[in-house]
Amino acid sequence: MDILIVLEDSNGKIHRMGLESIVGAQKMAGELGLSIGALVMGANVDLLAEEASGLNVGEVLKVENELLSTYSADGYAETVKQVIEQENPTYVIFGHTYQVRDYAPKVSAKLMKPFIVDNVSVTTNGGNSVFTKLMFNGKLFSDVTPTGDGPYLISFQSAAFSSEKADVGSAPVRDCTVNLDVSMIRTESEEPFQEEAGGIDLTSADIIVSVGRGIGKEGNIPLAKELAQALGGELASSRPVVDAGWLPAAHQIGSSGQSVSPKMYLALGISGAIQHVVGMKGSKNIVAINKDPEAPIFEIADYGVVGDVLEIIPKLTEAIQ
Amino acid sequence: MGFYTMKIAVLVKQVPGTESPLPIQSNQNWVDEGAVAYVMNESDNYALEEALQIREANDEGEVVAVSLGPDRSQKVIREALAKGADRGIHIQLDTAGMIDPLVTASYFADTFKDENFDLIFTGLQSDDLGMGQTGIILGELLGMSTASMAMATEVGGGKIKVKRELEAGWFQWVSLSLPASVSIQSGLNVPRYPSLKGIMGAKKKEIKVVTPSVANQSQSVEKVYVPQSDKQTVMIEGSVEQIVGKLVETFRNEIKVL
Amino acid sequence: MPDFQFSNIEKIILTLGTIGCLGSFGYEVWRRFKIVLKGRESLPFDRLGVRCWRVIREVLFHEKVMGGRFWPGLMHGLVFWGFLVFGLITIDHFATGFGVPLLSESLHHAYSYFGIPFAILVLIGIIALAYRRFMIRPAPLGKTSPTSGFVALFIAVLMLTYIYGEFDLSPMVWKINWWLHTSVILAFLWLVPRSKHLHLVLAPVNIFFRPFEQPYHTAVNIDLEGSEDELDSTLVDLTRMTKNQVLDVFSCVECGRCIDVCPANRGGGILDPKNHFILDLRQPLLDQGNVDVLGTINVEAGWECTTCQACTEVCPVGNYVEKSDEIRRLEVLVEGKVPQEYQKLFMNLQESGNTEGHASSPLADRLPSYTPDMEYVLWLGCFARYGLDPNFTKSVENFTKILEVAGVSYGVLENEHCSGDPANRLGDKLTYTMLREHNMEQLAHAKKVVTLCPHCALNLEKEYGKYAEVTYRVFHHTQVIEQLITEGRIKVKKGSEGKVTYHDPCNLSRMLDEVDAPRTAIQASVDDFFELEESGRNTLCCGAGGGLWWKKETKGRTHLVRAEQVVASGADTVVTGCNFCFGMMNQGLKPLTPEGQTEIQVKDVADIVAENLVKIPSV
Repeated sequence: MDILIVLEDSNGKIHRMGLESIVGAQKMAGELGLSIGALVMGANVDLLAEEASGLNVGEVLKVENELLSTYSADGYAETVKQVIEQENPTYVIFGHTYQVRDYAPKVSAKLMKPFIVDNVSVTTNGGNSVFTKLMFNGKLFSDVTPTGDGPYLISFQSAAFSSEKADVGSAPVRDCTVNLDVSMIRTESEEPFQEEAGGIDLTSADIIVSVGRGIGKEGNIPLAKELAQALGGELASSRPVVDAGWLPAAHQIGSSGQSVSPKMYLALGISGAIQHVVGMKGSKNIVAINKDPEAPIFEIADYGVVGDVLEIIPKLTEAIQ
Repeated sequence: MGFYTMKIAVLVKQVPGTESPLPIQSNQNWVDEGAVAYVMNESDNYALEEALQIREANDEGEVVAVSLGPDRSQKVIREALAKGADRGIHIQLDTAGMIDPLVTASYFADTFKDENFDLIFTGLQSDDLGMGQTGIILGELLGMSTASMAMATEVGGGKIKVKRELEAGWFQWVSLSLPASVSIQSGLNVPRYPSLKGIMGAKKKEIKVVTPSVANQSQSVEKVYVPQSDKQTVMIEGSVEQIVGKLVETFRNEIKVL
Repeated sequence: MPDFQFSNIEKIILTLGTIGCLGSFGYEVWRRFKIVLKGRESLPFDRLGVRCWRVIREVLFHEKVMGGRFWPGLMHGLVFWGFLVFGLITIDHFATGFGVPLLSESLHHAYSYFGIPFAILVLIGIIALAYRRFMIRPAPLGKTSPTSGFVALFIAVLMLTYIYGEFDLSPMVWKINWWLHTSVILAFLWLVPRSKHLHLVLAPVNIFFRPFEQPYHTAVNIDLEGSEDELDSTLVDLTRMTKNQVLDVFSCVECGRCIDVCPANRGGGILDPKNHFILDLRQPLLDQGNVDVLGTINVEAGWECTTCQACTEVCPVGNYVEKSDEIRRLEVLVEGKVPQEYQKLFMNLQESGNTEGHASSPLADRLPSYTPDMEYVLWLGCFARYGLDPNFTKSVENFTKILEVAGVSYGVLENEHCSGDPANRLGDKLTYTMLREHNMEQLAHAKKVVTLCPHCALNLEKEYGKYAEVTYRVFHHTQVIEQLITEGRIKVKKGSEGKVTYHDPCNLSRMLDEVDAPRTAIQASVDDFFELEESGRNTLCCGAGGGLWWKKETKGRTHLVRAEQVVASGADTVVTGCNFCFGMMNQGLKPLTPEGQTEIQVKDVADIVAENLVKIPSV
């Protein structure tokens, strides 16, 4: 096939970013008139193959190998490399997950072929693909093209495409074999574990619900907390809220707190003072609710509501639940 | 007893500071480096600190700071020396527009041919390009095992144990045999500040300069540009019920978080 | 008093006891004095007249002992003045023991008309103080001290035995009383140098030698081109205390006034100036017999200090308490252990010459450039230049408006770098050197500099002056405004701004010794002005000093203590004279204002004057 999509396991289901890469691959395939295929491997390969076979991915390549039952950078890299050598795709598409960042560069090195990473979009003009990624502390876009012959390894950034848009279809499953020797795997991994949520790491949250002095008083904080939970996000605040003792300092965002750039930053009753803004202006989508139409937060917000947060928050929480 | 000379290479890169201006060259395919204010890449700083701490834990050892770039790159090597690195290597090259990690890693691999490093530490990714591959490719080229995003390291018995960061607050310990190349995540330690003695002493430490011949890239930049921020704030109006409805719709369809 | 005889044996015992205790006293004092002499720099003898007058004011008149703690101070005064009154009596007492009394019987008796009432006053004093220390037990005094107990007992016994001795007593009883009195004095002599009561001897000396300038931080000269030996000796010097500092440690009377006024302590931090900056050093000094003990200062406490000098201002025995400079410079220059947020700050200063790492300043671009024919260099400072509080930009513009109305020419330096105050106060003397040398070059042709930032003002003249000759004069903008008002070059009418109060910036009121100029300016501009508690030279720091503006995590709420006072004062407007105070008030007042109460306005002196300027019609 021309485009090989490498899918990742997320507890027996295809990882969301794998679905997103399918959408990206389907787009490229459509525009360039190319065929696609999807690769599944690992301990849950049967489940993944079954799920993939119900999607419009051309065909599903299933690699079953005992040495892949736990993830290892060596094992996965060698597998993908061998599959690429067998199938000869032009493009190999990954989601830019932590796992991919760990092993895909090794594939690039083994093949001496480029890995163009973390792209937010791809445009195809006249048979060539141009990949767009952010560079320079996220301040500039750059258009990157591969030079020389393929295969080209590509990864897409989280939410570059919407996983919901993955077309359904029917794809036959084909078994694929790779030659793996235990001596190739030079690492030993233990079981993954979660750490106690001691400090609150707001920097890894996709959604942040942040409150400012407009929340009124300490007694209203739980309202915001409920909204955060309903959205599956984290609760944060500007400095005055922490100073007043309504929330612990771990929630603070701003020049003397954490700096974040989540997918959505919901600013509730925050005026937008510069000490706060420097900590969140990199957010991809800023939604601000404040009763003061002159509040500086509206200058950087993508969506704004002039209104009373205390009225809106509970109704919003309800509507989402 | 783990009494052996630990040789650790730390790759340090000079990148534009967060507040630096980034004027774009007239031909649009790179920034005008002359106007940029450069600093050491943040995660490289953590990588350096980790290497220094490992060397301090082993009585013997050597930390070598290596940087690829034009003349200005010597500044970050000096900074590393001031913090305690023993010697430096400067791979001197005009890197404007050079984004291919395969090429970058090859330069390092070439330079390290005779060094026999036990460990190579790199920052997780550079703040300017964000490729995040050089350390891993370099390890692969030199036949070393690799791991990325280390949030903690433990060295001993001919191995290095790395606590890898995974998504959503998960972690995993991986054990690698030496030699190994590991990329380091910010925040795993508290980087030191160069002491006065360190700064003075750095002047006397060796920086070897090598000038490789330029290789061809397998990926290149066509142009760089400022993201079109047609940041028109979309004001959502109406009654409270209407506003709530429109917000939910925005969350679902525009921002895609529901 | 009858002429009682002392036997030879008694005289021998008396001689031995006196020599023994005096010797012990002398030895302990000499031991400490030797350590003082090992300290760096010399004890100052300049401005002798002022120094003597200061001793009279602070020792004889108990100016600082009674200021702030009036009643305990007065009680202490009674004991102290009693001590002076009894000086002659005590010498006579011992002389009597040797059979050669100084005072004749009638003189002695006459003196008792004066002495007995005084003894009663002393008794009242010491009982009141003992009650406070042992029954009320205020926190700053620390743990209950047995030595204090003995001293209270001794003083009481001395007074009682004196009074009793003036009665008609049988020889036996009189002798016993006499010996009791004598033993207590000898015990006192033994106890004094081994306890905080050494302040009896040292406080006047310490007050005499107290430096005039605040803050008292020694210059750290770094020569990057110097030899390794020079560097080593500079680094060793960083651990060594000065003579004044050692004398301070031995003079400390452990009263805890410094703790009372410390903003970090009051904000809930761990900093305890009495122990961390003074008493912790005492044992190391005595154990080592040497002065290189600055490295023992508690590091965490050292980073909490705002360098506001309140502790120094309030000390009744003349101590320069604050030692954050000493420990921070060791951590930075020797250890390389710097909190991360400060590392970024230092990098910005080194790379871009300003605290924010910015490349340009829109405010500076808008203002006229300085040329040598202009009267003033308007020094902006990083806070104004890079908009650390956007509202302050207006304050700068208000000041330039005042200057223009008065026809005063001014310009900004194109290549103004940070004055270096953050680097200086945070211990990075190397970065400070770089900035200082750059700025002095830029100011080579300046005659007068005016700035809105007291931190800049302090550094540009006084701190830079510790390293090199400063050829320009530096003024704080409130001083220039005051001058313009008094010279009639601007006219201000009293506007109505509600109840207006003024928060004295610590750098301005204490370190630059300026409390009047801002008040002149404000009181010319408003009709309802009142003073905050802890104002003037006793001002409570806003919490941003010592580089703490850039500190990320604060254990405690140092920055809110003053804001709370402002809210509680009922002011409608608070005026400040410092951009950091301005920013801190803006940050602090909002969350503390109770619901329903209108927000307190924060203004700079320049704002309030500019708003009430009367335009002078052009001639």
